[in-house]
Amino acid sequence: MTDAPMLEVNDLAVQFDFGGVAIQALHDVSFSVGKGRILGIVGESGSGKSLTAKSIMGMLPEAGRVSNGSIRLDGRDLVEVPETELRQMRGRDLAMVFQDPQAALNPVKTIGWQIVEALVVHGMPKAKARARALELLRQVGIPDPETRIDEFPHQFSGGMRQRAVIAIAIANSSPLIIADEPTTALDVTIQAQVLRLLAKLRADLGVTVILITHDMGVVAELCDDVVVMYGGRVVERGTVEAIFDAPQHPYTRALLASMPRIEGARGRELAAIPGSTPDLSRLPSGCAYHPRCALAEDMCARKVPPLEPIPERPENTSACLVAQRDGRLPPEGEGASAASARPDRPETEAAPILQVEDLRVDFGSKRRFFSRTAPFYAVDGVSLTVRPGETVGLVGESGCGKTTVSRAIVGVNPIASGRVSVDGRDVTSFDGPATALVRDQVQYVFQDPYASLNPRLTIRQILNEALERRRLSAEAREEECARLMKLVGLDRHYLDRYPKAFSGGQRQRIGIARALAVQPKVLICDEPVSALDVSIQAQVINILADLRDRLGLAVLFIAHDLAVVRHLSDRVAVMYLGRIVEEGPAEEIYAAPRHPYTAVLMASTPKPVPQPGAMASKTILEGDPPDPRNPPSGCRFRTRCPIGPLVHPDRTICEREDPALSGDRSHKAACHFPQDTTQTTEMRERMPS
Amino acid sequence: MLTFLARRLPSVALMLVVTALIAFLLPRLGGGDPAQVVAGPDATLAQVEAVREQLGLDRPVLVQFGDWAGRIVTGDFGTSLISNRPVAQLIASRLSSTMELAIAATLLMIVMGLGLGILAGSVRKGGSRAAIDGTLSVLLATPPHVTGLILILILGISWRLLPISGEVSVFDDPVTGLTYLILPAFALALPQAAMIARLIQARMSQVREEDFVDLAKAKGVPPRRIAISHVLRNSLGTAVIVTGVRVGEILAGAVVIEAIFARQGLGTLAVSAIQSRDYEVVQIIVLFAVVIAVVVHFLSEILLAALDPRIRLDS
Amino acid sequence: MTIQDTDIPRRRAFLSEGLRRYLAAFRTPRGLIGGGLLAIMCLAALLAPVVFPGAVDAQSRDSFLGPSLTHPFGTDELGRDIFIRCIYALRISISLVIVAVPIAMVIGTLMGLAGAISPALGDAFQRLFDIILGFPSLILGICIVVAIGPGWIALAVTIAIFSLPQFGRLARGALLTEEGREYVLAARVLGVGKRKIMTRHILPNAMDPILVQASLAMIGGIFAEAALSIVGLGIQPPTPSLGTLLNVGIRYVYVQPMYTAGPIILLLLLALAFNLISDALNAAVMKTRND
Repeated sequence: MTDAPMLEVNDLAVQFDFGGVAIQALHDVSFSVGKGRILGIVGESGSGKSLTAKSIMGMLPEAGRVSNGSIRLDGRDLVEVPETELRQMRGRDLAMVFQDPQAALNPVKTIGWQIVEALVVHGMPKAKARARALELLRQVGIPDPETRIDEFPHQFSGGMRQRAVIAIAIANSSPLIIADEPTTALDVTIQAQVLRLLAKLRADLGVTVILITHDMGVVAELCDDVVVMYGGRVVERGTVEAIFDAPQHPYTRALLASMPRIEGARGRELAAIPGSTPDLSRLPSGCAYHPRCALAEDMCARKVPPLEPIPERPENTSACLVAQRDGRLPPEGEGASAASARPDRPETEAAPILQVEDLRVDFGSKRRFFSRTAPFYAVDGVSLTVRPGETVGLVGESGCGKTTVSRAIVGVNPIASGRVSVDGRDVTSFDGPATALVRDQVQYVFQDPYASLNPRLTIRQILNEALERRRLSAEAREEECARLMKLVGLDRHYLDRYPKAFSGGQRQRIGIARALAVQPKVLICDEPVSALDVSIQAQVINILADLRDRLGLAVLFIAHDLAVVRHLSDRVAVMYLGRIVEEGPAEEIYAAPRHPYTAVLMASTPKPVPQPGAMASKTILEGDPPDPRNPPSGCRFRTRCPIGPLVHPDRTICEREDPALSGDRSHKAACHFPQDTTQTTEMRERMPS
Repeated sequence: MLTFLARRLPSVALMLVVTALIAFLLPRLGGGDPAQVVAGPDATLAQVEAVREQLGLDRPVLVQFGDWAGRIVTGDFGTSLISNRPVAQLIASRLSSTMELAIAATLLMIVMGLGLGILAGSVRKGGSRAAIDGTLSVLLATPPHVTGLILILILGISWRLLPISGEVSVFDDPVTGLTYLILPAFALALPQAAMIARLIQARMSQVREEDFVDLAKAKGVPPRRIAISHVLRNSLGTAVIVTGVRVGEILAGAVVIEAIFARQGLGTLAVSAIQSRDYEVVQIIVLFAVVIAVVVHFLSEILLAALDPRIRLDS
Repeated sequence: MTIQDTDIPRRRAFLSEGLRRYLAAFRTPRGLIGGGLLAIMCLAALLAPVVFPGAVDAQSRDSFLGPSLTHPFGTDELGRDIFIRCIYALRISISLVIVAVPIAMVIGTLMGLAGAISPALGDAFQRLFDIILGFPSLILGICIVVAIGPGWIALAVTIAIFSLPQFGRLARGALLTEEGREYVLAARVLGVGKRKIMTRHILPNAMDPILVQASLAMIGGIFAEAALSIVGLGIQPPTPSLGTLLNVGIRYVYVQPMYTAGPIILLLLLALAFNLISDALNAAVMKTRND
């Protein structure tokens, strides 16, 4: 397998020059990728993974330059190749797939034009190029390419756009494709499609792929080899099997441990990595990871560890002084990984603190001059119950209406019909007393830690704003601010700083402190960790879980990530296209889903456990979600359902009748054939491909 | 496309109606009694009343407005209260002068605006960038009348290169006509061109940051082609829209420029009409200027829709 | 736990914090030069009657004298000192914009923010702004002059009406972006009243671009006076304003170029001063934003 490598990067260093101030962003980056293999470069924000990709493409930002090292493509050093020649190599000898397919396509040119351009700049005559473009579109799985080729990017869905970008990348049969977070902007079902496409292209065309990602699950599912980056350096590399089996760098190990899992035992505290990811402009001395490392010794702060094979695990090459000295990475003892197991939380029968019945939120109707557009229910008949002390997870892909539900509950989105009650009282009207009740009892934690704190207010001012409701004296407020900070693990003398002084994880803690200032009974968390790095995500999840238990909070936890939801929730509701399609106790749903959509979501979620061949066999949803303005008749999921009329033409009931949520007392699904889904193992054979 | 146009039409119509209303109300806002003006200063009260009835000025304002608008639409622009000549005739006699100026200035504006804008958007480093930025800032900050006066002082007085006062129609004598046209046209066009250039420059540097420019680079597209097919192509919409708005400003600027360069155009006609309270003339000129501005703006929106598939296809 | 080192601000009222930021703009070189230039011109205009009592209308037989030490810009057709008349003219220009622009700023901002109270009202105001902007600027001025009659008031109204939509749109834009911000939603969910949300979260963010625009609108106003007065629809002679001086000066441009050049120099100096101030404000605002 490892004859002459396709690409070999040696001692790569990249420097930025900001008005005379030089900042070294990459240090001694070395790795290679064999022909026809898929290499994953993993790291969190600021690890230098994207910069590595840009260096290979010769597309560093203007202020940056390669200051040392070599990048050999098929034996040729790209660093030495002059720009004009490099330009001819781009697209032909190495190609790139971008993170955001919406931004990566020129909005005013047709998809076909953009593929044809990639071909003609490398010498193909225009006449032949169109035929080739059609062939490429077919190859990347775009249905009806003859029509689609003349459409514009905005007429494509996100997943289709990314397929078009991939078509451009493979247009000139480039042997190497660098994919920079190609699925980060996509929903999990679409991500699965794109990952499968990449695997298929490797199998069919033998291309070599470098996949830049932050998601260890994606690496485990798709890659052969891994490079783990931290603070602008490679900290560990090896084959996927070796690294996932026994990581030899404490960072890799901690990263894997801090991920919530969709399978296996749950209910334990996540092994969070303390601290936050370092800024490339001010790295700690020695090993950049040492301030966060449980195994760090004095030498780690003094010496930059070289990247060397670990004696007892020669498959792993790791930059850890401790592992190199001891022959392997020592276990961490009772550190983060062996956190105390938490008992399952008992089911509660108390009267609901928050109840939503048949909620509809109209998002569509806008007044025009003469007409009113038809209502479009972003949320169409959703019912939810949250009991005191209970955590309910609300899962779904983007656009399914989960955030709309949560905002309607706090009165930000107007309610078209249905009922919302808090603590047994109907607050649907959101009149004076009802609003006051909601404000006192229900609080909200937002998704984006950068947007949810006003940059012009100090933390003290932000918390004081929240404390206004309680009409405390000045001293009491002061004390309360300090208590809140302590509650979320921040020091009280940071109170007079502005939000810009804090990292994303710290800001999210402040967001939580603000919500708790009111002493609510219900906390609505809207994707509170999705904007955070994995290592930080675990910190925030732990704090949320801890506070929930200590304060007896009821939590409505909204997320797209099934693993995160599973980790925190007692009960789970799954949303699709404005409806709840399945609801029940978390463990039951994850063990035996009854709605095919839930089953597919779970299958699509990448798991950080290497399973060779899993990519080819797992169930993947075809197509895109339908336009919520114009939902399909009958069951809304039938147009993509792997057990519906697509595969069983006799199941016309799905087209005619809207299935109601039904099932036993606590576990319900809105499917006409719930028993089919339970036999999940057979589903993949029935999939159309 | 059609839906897009249909959606824009109400606001165009609203603009036209409001302008018509303002134009119609001008004489009444002016405080002068039109009946008194027509009847003359020595008329008796009875005579004034008679004129009022004759002109229909005693009827409800809305009815009068309907009548007036009806007349305008059918091409009857009324009669000047001062010279007793039909307004249409007065305007026709001055139209060619203003049109020569406006068209010359518009062409200059488009050529210079696009040229400077693309130049400013393409040069990204060093002294030339600073020089272009500086020039644009100065031109942008100086309105047509001040630009005109400075041009007069430098080119007309100091260097005595070009005539600064009066006019000769380019149809009668193209060469002399052009020498008279150059200074006023430049004065009108320069500030507007600088405005267009600045917006194109800003848009281009914004587009340059987009991912699709990176993707084009990753495809191996040569820099010149990236600049044209990707960067410039995505900046054109901005250019079209700002140009459309600026045409109205050129027409309005002509009022002052004609005064400064002593040209006998619609602007000077408007000014003298205001000074002699000849509202019938003022009304029509105001209406005329705004209608042209609105129509050009609407045309530029149509062109924008043609350029941008997101607007053309999504409605 | 790493917290970046930033200076720890003392507790202080929010408004004063904003004010301090804007004042800081005048400590930068650009702000200093612009502010200084403007202060000198204001002072000169204010003190002109004290320093040169009666000189503004003092005629003499020495018409069309060239520039000299006693008459820096020479004399006009009636032998009056052009320089002194120009300094007097500053009084009109400066008084116009100092009165009209702040009024437009306050009203325009309020109209722009009206959408927070009643969306329909906010929309209506936006329509109005569209209409005002649809009028070529001088045509609008002409309509107002016809309606009110030429003079200081008509000019002030023209400047105010024409500046109105600029502020209104900026305020509206800030309102729409801020209303969608998560920290504003957070405040709503916390039960913070509408008025407090407005003054605490929305207004401070809206003020930045509005203040920058205010100094630009002052330039526009000064030039608008000149334009309307040049054609005889603004200030009426013999009152000296930069526009009326140009109105007469252009007739004598061959015999006395300084009659035209003098007012233009002052016009450009005023524009430069306001431009530097707006630049400095903008830089100060961007700085706090990017920090």
